[in-house]
Amino acid sequence: MNVPAISIRGLQKYYGTYHALRSIDLTVKRGERIVVCGPSGSGKSTMIRCINRLEEHDGGTINVLGTELDDNIGNIDEIRREVGMVFQHFNLFPHMTVLENCTLAPMLVRKTPLAEAEALAMRYLEKVRIPDQADKYPGQLSGGQQQRVAIARSLCMKPEILLFDEPTSALDPEMISEVLDVMTSLASEGMTMICVTHEMGFARKVADRVIFMDRGEIVEQGSPEEFFTAPKTDRGAQFLSQVLGH
Amino acid sequence: MTAIDTGPVPLGPTQLRRLRRDYFSSPVSTLISVLCFGLLLSIGWVLFDWGVLRATFAAEARQPECQAAGGACWSVIANRWRLIFFGLYPYEEQWRSALACVAVIVTMVLSCIPVFWTGKRLTAVWALGFLTFYVLMKGGMLGLLLVREEQWGGLALTLFIFVATAIIGMPLAIAFALLRNSTLPWIAKTTGAVIDAVRSLPLISILFTFAIVLPFVLPDFVLQEKLYRVIAGSALFFAAYQAEIIRGGMQGVAKGQDEAAMSLGIPYRHRVARILLPQAFRNALPATINQFVITFMETSLVVIVGFFELLSSANAAFGTSDWTFAFVEVYVFVAFLYFIFVFGLSRYGAYLERRMATGQR
Ligand SMILES: Nc1ncnc2c1ncn2[C@@H]1O[C@H](COP(=O)(O)OP(=O)(O)OP(=O)(O)O)[C@@H](O)[C@H]1O
Ligand SMILES: [Mg+2]
Repeated sequence: MNVPAISIRGLQKYYGTYHALRSIDLTVKRGERIVVCGPSGSGKSTMIRCINRLEEHDGGTINVLGTELDDNIGNIDEIRREVGMVFQHFNLFPHMTVLENCTLAPMLVRKTPLAEAEALAMRYLEKVRIPDQADKYPGQLSGGQQQRVAIARSLCMKPEILLFDEPTSALDPEMISEVLDVMTSLASEGMTMICVTHEMGFARKVADRVIFMDRGEIVEQGSPEEFFTAPKTDRGAQFLSQVLGH
Repeated sequence: MTAIDTGPVPLGPTQLRRLRRDYFSSPVSTLISVLCFGLLLSIGWVLFDWGVLRATFAAEARQPECQAAGGACWSVIANRWRLIFFGLYPYEEQWRSALACVAVIVTMVLSCIPVFWTGKRLTAVWALGFLTFYVLMKGGMLGLLLVREEQWGGLALTLFIFVATAIIGMPLAIAFALLRNSTLPWIAKTTGAVIDAVRSLPLISILFTFAIVLPFVLPDFVLQEKLYRVIAGSALFFAAYQAEIIRGGMQGVAKGQDEAAMSLGIPYRHRVARILLPQAFRNALPATINQFVITFMETSLVVIVGFFELLSSANAAFGTSDWTFAFVEVYVFVAFLYFIFVFGLSRYGAYLERRMATGQR
């Protein structure tokens, strides 16, 4: 239990010649809730996508729950089983019902029997408050409902860590809060979370730490109180004035 | 919706109202509808008059009787249908060819039913279907007389070549499509080169190469029988085109789908089988049905390497001096056989589209 949930050292990422991540260092304790913010193109998505190998890093080390993320396929699979991800555009499987979306991975990856997987799925669908939509297809749901299904789908793998990449930025304003409510309740249950989001209210309420990125670097980090009221850097202050300014 | 509808709409059965809306909504459309209807009716009448009213059906009838009646001479089919269906297959043994046809058709129909779409079930259906067909057609065991592949022919041969092409070609096409999308450049490039090479050749030259040239190159024990080499060639040709159709379908699948599956820890083979291919096939369905239809038609090309399939058997059916006058009837009959198949396939395509549409909004 002394092993941190995530430990990133000197992480480098290039897209061709473009230097997207410049030596990122980050340690996330178990149960810690982190909000990542920063201007567009600053590398927030790239960083969290490196954690479950949706992007391959070019330098430095990433260690997740004691497992080193390297070219070893076994390690990658092990990490992906323990790290869930929620995407901006939900990425539900459109040809499967909500229930099938939720049972697929447990059955294929964890070899959970069908009945058990369905019971598990229903439990998490209740948790995100849409058990009545289980037999519908994703295309028949609203954006907010789809995103909650996506969260339930991740939870069905019983991950240790959940990554969120702007989970509410594709949603209409009236649906944002239903998703944030679910995320807040997850946070209160001790899930280790890294959320890329510009929802400052959410950050203030649940985050243990806010990380501010700009141009591929972590420019500053601290408690939400510190960061939102008195940013230590000019870039941080400038970003906050832009986000909160309108 | 149009100006004519402004008056009180008489309440009639829905069909009647729909008829009015679709065909008689304005004077111009009424005129066009009446003209088209009249044209269809007269064509239909001419065909009916020729094909039924004045037609001769009696098997004993020959040219004089038929010409006296003035209509179609279906006697040719009554006399020569066995040749059309079974080609040069020994007359006494043709019941085996008929049963083999049934085996192929059953295999085909079962493969089309979604319940059978798991690796194990499809493999079982195909293996069983092929075995039944092979034992029945070839014989030489279970007390059945040996009938060599050169003697196979007619509808049985056409169906067999088509189904074997599809069953071997489809997995090959999927493999090609996946390999062409490989992240390893040399695999992707090599596969791309193979696909493009096959697609740049006409089917005839591929059949010729496989049937005639290959035996000189390959050692004796590989694909000795010409029929199987021809099927291999035709499957390769099918796969090259179908691979591109599937790849096109894959490009329509959002990148986020694979990322979501990866983030759930689902391994590659399941991502392909459960996420990528079902969506790719859905996108590629119309083109795939089209490819099947083309492939079915193209089976008639095997005649150039010496096979006696449906169309060439039909040619032989009116090839005797007795029946040369009745070639139209024979062609109509064969066209009808092709039509049944192609029509069935297109209805099946429509069914699949409807079935898949339930998944969308
Ligand atoms: N696949 C890619 N190929 C090339 N460049 C990329 C790729 N993905 C991201 N980048 C670049 O890397 C930089 C960081 O991208 P990233 O998506 O991590 O930014 P972000 O902080 O998530 O921004 P946003 O708030 O807009 O989502 C951007 O400049 C982007 O253009
Ligand atoms: Mg982003």
